[in-house]
Amino acid sequence: MSGTQAVTATPVQLPEQSTSIGSRRNRKRKHDPTAKSPMWVRIVLGLICLAWVIPTFGLAVTSFRAKDDAATSGWWTIFTTPSNFTRLTLKNYSDVFSQTDMGEAFVNSIAITVPATIIPILIAAFAAYAFSFMQFPGRDLLLIVIVGLLVVPTQVALVPLLKIYGALGLNGTLPAVWLTHIGFGMPLAVYIIRNYMSTLPKEVIESAKIDGASHFQTFWRLILPMSTPVLASFAIFQFLWVWNDLLNALIFAGQNSPLPVSLNRLIGSEGQGWQLLTAGGLFTMIVPIIVFLSLQRYFVRGLTAGSVKG
Amino acid sequence: MTIKILNAIIAVVGGVLGAIVLYWLLNKLAELLPGRWEDRVKPYLFLLPAVAAISLYLIYPAIQTLIYSFANKNSTAFVGFDNYTSLLKSQNFQNTLFNTLLWIIIVPAAVIVVGLLIATLADRLGPRGEKLSKTLIFLPMAIGAVSAGAIWKFVYAVRPPGQNQIGLFNGIFTGLGGDPVNWLQLSTLRFNSLLLMVMLLWMQAGFAMVLLSAAIKGVPTETLEAARLDGAAEGTIFFRIVVPQIRTTLITVFITVLIGVLKTFDIVYVMTNGRSKTNVIAVDFFNQLFTNRNNGNAAAIVVMLLIIMIPVLVFQVRQFRAEEAAR
Amino acid sequence: MRIRSSFAASAALGAVAVLTTGCLSSGGGGGGGNANTSKNIEIMYAFTTDQESGFKDEVNAWAKDNNVTVKFTQSGDFNSLINTRVQGNDAPDVALFPQPGIMKDMAAQGELADLSSVVDQGDLDKLIQGALDTGMVDGKQYAIPMSINVKSIVFYPKKAAAAAGLTAPPQTLDELQSLSTKIASTGTTPWCFGIESGPATGWPATDWVENLMVSNYGADVYNQWVAHEIPFNDPRVLDVLNQIDKLLLADGQVNGGRKSISGNNFGTAANAMFDNPPGCYMYRQGNFVAKAGGFPDAVLADLDNTVGVFPMPGKTAAEKPVLGGGDLAGIFSKDNESAKKLVQFLASKDYGTKGYAETGAWISPRTDFDTSLYPTELLGSIAKIAYESTAFVFDGSDQMPGEVGSGTFWSEMTSWISGEEDAKTALDNIENSWPA
Repeated sequence: MSGTQAVTATPVQLPEQSTSIGSRRNRKRKHDPTAKSPMWVRIVLGLICLAWVIPTFGLAVTSFRAKDDAATSGWWTIFTTPSNFTRLTLKNYSDVFSQTDMGEAFVNSIAITVPATIIPILIAAFAAYAFSFMQFPGRDLLLIVIVGLLVVPTQVALVPLLKIYGALGLNGTLPAVWLTHIGFGMPLAVYIIRNYMSTLPKEVIESAKIDGASHFQTFWRLILPMSTPVLASFAIFQFLWVWNDLLNALIFAGQNSPLPVSLNRLIGSEGQGWQLLTAGGLFTMIVPIIVFLSLQRYFVRGLTAGSVKG
Repeated sequence: MTIKILNAIIAVVGGVLGAIVLYWLLNKLAELLPGRWEDRVKPYLFLLPAVAAISLYLIYPAIQTLIYSFANKNSTAFVGFDNYTSLLKSQNFQNTLFNTLLWIIIVPAAVIVVGLLIATLADRLGPRGEKLSKTLIFLPMAIGAVSAGAIWKFVYAVRPPGQNQIGLFNGIFTGLGGDPVNWLQLSTLRFNSLLLMVMLLWMQAGFAMVLLSAAIKGVPTETLEAARLDGAAEGTIFFRIVVPQIRTTLITVFITVLIGVLKTFDIVYVMTNGRSKTNVIAVDFFNQLFTNRNNGNAAAIVVMLLIIMIPVLVFQVRQFRAEEAAR
Repeated sequence: MRIRSSFAASAALGAVAVLTTGCLSSGGGGGGGNANTSKNIEIMYAFTTDQESGFKDEVNAWAKDNNVTVKFTQSGDFNSLINTRVQGNDAPDVALFPQPGIMKDMAAQGELADLSSVVDQGDLDKLIQGALDTGMVDGKQYAIPMSINVKSIVFYPKKAAAAAGLTAPPQTLDELQSLSTKIASTGTTPWCFGIESGPATGWPATDWVENLMVSNYGADVYNQWVAHEIPFNDPRVLDVLNQIDKLLLADGQVNGGRKSISGNNFGTAANAMFDNPPGCYMYRQGNFVAKAGGFPDAVLADLDNTVGVFPMPGKTAAEKPVLGGGDLAGIFSKDNESAKKLVQFLASKDYGTKGYAETGAWISPRTDFDTSLYPTELLGSIAKIAYESTAFVFDGSDQMPGEVGSGTFWSEMTSWISGEEDAKTALDNIENSWPA
C-alpha cells in the first residue's frame, strides 16, 4: 500500500482562497491607494455590522430585564435611564431553569443532534464517491433526481413516516428522530459532498487503481481524508438544522423533546411568557454559535470548492 | 440523563461502525462477483443506503402527495383537478402566490447584492476588522427560527400611543415625533412582506457574503492589476472582470437562497401567520394540512411549489451538465 | 447497531411503501386508534407552566394509588400533533382537547371511546351543563370537561375605577354602554384592548364577538351560529359587530385608539389599567391573564386588593350567560381500563382538591367545587360567575372548523378592527371561507 500513501502525501491542489472568514488573507495588492482602508469603507461596514447585531443585542439585553420592565419600556432605555440599568436581573434565567425542563431538553438536544449529524455524513460520502468516481448507467439521472429533491418540503413526509414508525414501534424514540433527520438531510449531503469530490483530481484515483487499490480502499485512505472540509461544512449545516428544528422534534421526539420544543412551550397556550422566551432563546443559541465559530474555517473551503475555480 | 447520553454515544459509535461494516460487507459481496459484474454492481451498492433513505423519506412521500393532490380532504375519494381549480380561484391563494413570487424575485437578489457589498467592503479592511465584521454578519445563520422570531419581535413591536414603545423601530419613529406604526400590518405595496424579507436577508446574507468573498479573493490579482494599469475605473473592473470570474459562485448562492426562500415557513408563521396579506406558499401548506386538515389542498399546494421549482431545476441541471463538460 | 438494522428495515419498508402508494387511505381509520390495554398510559394535552405542573402532581398522586404509570406529553401544537399522530396510528391513550372542534371530528370518525357508560350520569349533572354538552356528538358523550376558563368577565382596577364612576357592576348591556360613556366623558378611555398573540393574533377579538352574541341573542342562537345552522354573516352578527364598534372601537373608547389594538399583546394590554393615572379602566378577557406573563408582578402580588372583576352583563339583569373554554378529556384506547379510570377521576369531585386548585392555574368545571380552595378571592369569584351562570357556552372559534375558527375568524376580525375592511366585508369573507 505504499503507493497509496505516496499519493496521499502529494499535496492536493486546492483552489487558492481564504480558508476562513477573513483570516489568512493573501492580499498584497499593491494597488491599495492607502495602506489603511478608506474611512468611508469603515463607516459603511460599521453601520452594516451595527444593523446586523442590534436586533440580537436587544434580545440579549431584554433577557436580563424584569418582566414588567421589558413590557413597559424599550430595552435601549437601560442606557438612558440609570434605574432601568440597575434593575437588570438574572431572574429570567433562573426561572427558565426552575420552571421549565430546559436542562433536560439540552441533554436531549445533544442526544438528538450528534448522531443525526455524524451518521448521514458517511452514508452520503459513499454515494458521493460513487457519483464522482464511478461510471454506471443512470448516474446523471439519479443525481438530477437528488438535486430536484432539495426543494421538496419535508412536511410531505410526516404522515407517511408516522405510519411506518408506528408499525415499527419507533414513535417517540431517539432513533425515530435520528432516522428522520438522516433521511431529510441526505439530498443536500450527497449534493454538496459530490460537488466537492468532483473537484478532486481524477489522477489520484487513477494512480491508486494502478497500485491495485480497490474502490473501498481508495475511498477510505484517499478520498475521505481529502474531503474533510466539505464533510465539515455539511456537518455544520446539518448540525444547525437539526439543533434548531422544531417541527420534526414536535412530531417524532415524544418525551425526548429538545430545546426548540421547550422554547416554543415557553409561550403559554394562551400566548403569554415572552419574558422567559428571551432567556430561553439566548440559551438555545449558545451551542450552535460555539459550534459554528469553532468550525467556520472549514465551512467556506468545503462549500466553495465546487463553484470557485481559480 | 446519563442513559440518554450513553444512548447517543452508542448511536454514534454503533451507527458509524454499523455503516462501515455494512459498506464493507457490500463491498465484499461485490468482490465475490466475477470481475465484469463487480464493476457494474458496485456503484449501486455504494449508493444503496443513501438512495434507500431518499426514497423512503422524500420520493415515496412526494409520489403520495401527487396522488393526494387529486383526492378530497381526507384522501378517501378522487376529485380530479378540483383542489387546483378551487385554490387558483380563491383570492387568498392568489395573494399567497403573488407574495411567494415577490419573495422569489426580491430575496435572492437582495441577499446577493448585500452579500457582495459586504464582501467587497470587508475585503478592504485590515485582517482583524474583516474577520470580526464577517463573523458578526454570519452569526444569524446559527440562530433558529423561534429565536429569530423573538429577536425581531423587539424590532417591529408596537405599543399604543402614549405608552413607551418596546420595539426598536417604533422607539426611533416615535422619538422623531411620529405616531407608533403597526409595521407588520402595513400591507400597502406589501411593505409588511418586505419587513419579513428583511429577516430572511438578515439570516442569509452572511452565507452569501462568505462564499462570494472567497470567490472574489480567488480572482487573480494580475488580471486586476492589468486592468488598473489600463486605467479602468473600479466600477468597470468590478462588473467586467470580477463578476464574470465569480459567476459560478453567484449562481450557487442564488440557487441555494432561492431554495431557502421557497421553503420559507418559520419567519412568516411566527411573525404574522400570513395575516395582512403576508401569506406565502409554505405557510399556506402548513395551515391547510394542520389547521384546515385538508390533505387535498395541502398536497396540491406542494405540487404547485414543485412546478414553480421546475425552471430552477432545469437551469440547475444545465449548469451541472456544463460544469461536468468543462471538467 | 440498532441504527443499521433499523436502516435495513426502513429500506425494505421503503420498497414496499413505494409499491403501495397507488392506493388511497382507507378513510378515517374507524377504530384503528389505539389498542393499548396496559397500565402504562399516555396522556396528551396543551396547557403549560403552573397548570401543567399542578396537573402532573395531581394525576401522579392518583396514578400511584391506582398502580398506573402515566406518561405526560405536552404539545403547544396540540391540534397538529394529535391529527398527525392519529393518522399515523399513534394516538395517545387519553387526550385533553383544548378545542372541541377537532375532538368532534375524531369522535365522528370513530376514533374516540363513547364515555356514556364510563362515567356516572348522575354525577355528571354536577358539571357545568354547557361545558358538558360540548363533549357530546350525536347524543353521545365522547369527552368530559376537566378544566374550564371563564371569558365573560371584566377586570378593573379596584380603587381607581370607583373614582371614575364604576361603583356598581352594570347589570345589563345598556348599563355597560352608559358606564362606558360615563368614563369616556372624564377624558380617559374606558377600555383596554389588545388582540396580538403571535401566529394566533385575532382570537381575543373573536371572544368579544362571541360574548356579545350570547349576551344579545341567547345560548340557542349562539350555538346555532357556531354550528353554522345560521350563516356566519347573519344580520344579528353584524349587529354585534356594530355594537362592538360603538362600545369599544369608537374614538375615545379604547386605550391607544383602534389602530393600536392589533399590535397590542392581549396578555399585557391591561397593564395600562394599573398606571397612575390609569390609561383605561376595563378589560374583558379570560381569567388566565391574571397570572405571570399577563398582569404586572406587583399587581399579581396583591391581586385581591388591586383587581376587581364583574361578569359581562346579559340583555336583562336576569340573564347571566357566560362564555368560556376549557379542556375536554377523551379516550383513544377504547378498551383500556386504566384510561377509563383516569377519566373517571378527572371528572370526579376529588380531582383538583389535593393542591391543584391552590395553584390558581386551574378552575374546576364542577359547580359543587369548593371555591374557598382557590388561592385568591378574585379567582373564587370568577369561578362563581361560571357556576352561577344561566347558560355556559363554549368558545365558538374553538368549535368551528379550522379554516374559520383558527383561520379567517381570527384574520378577518384583525383586518376589521385595524380598519382594513368594514364589518360587512369581514363577515362575508368568513362566511365564504366556511368549508362545504
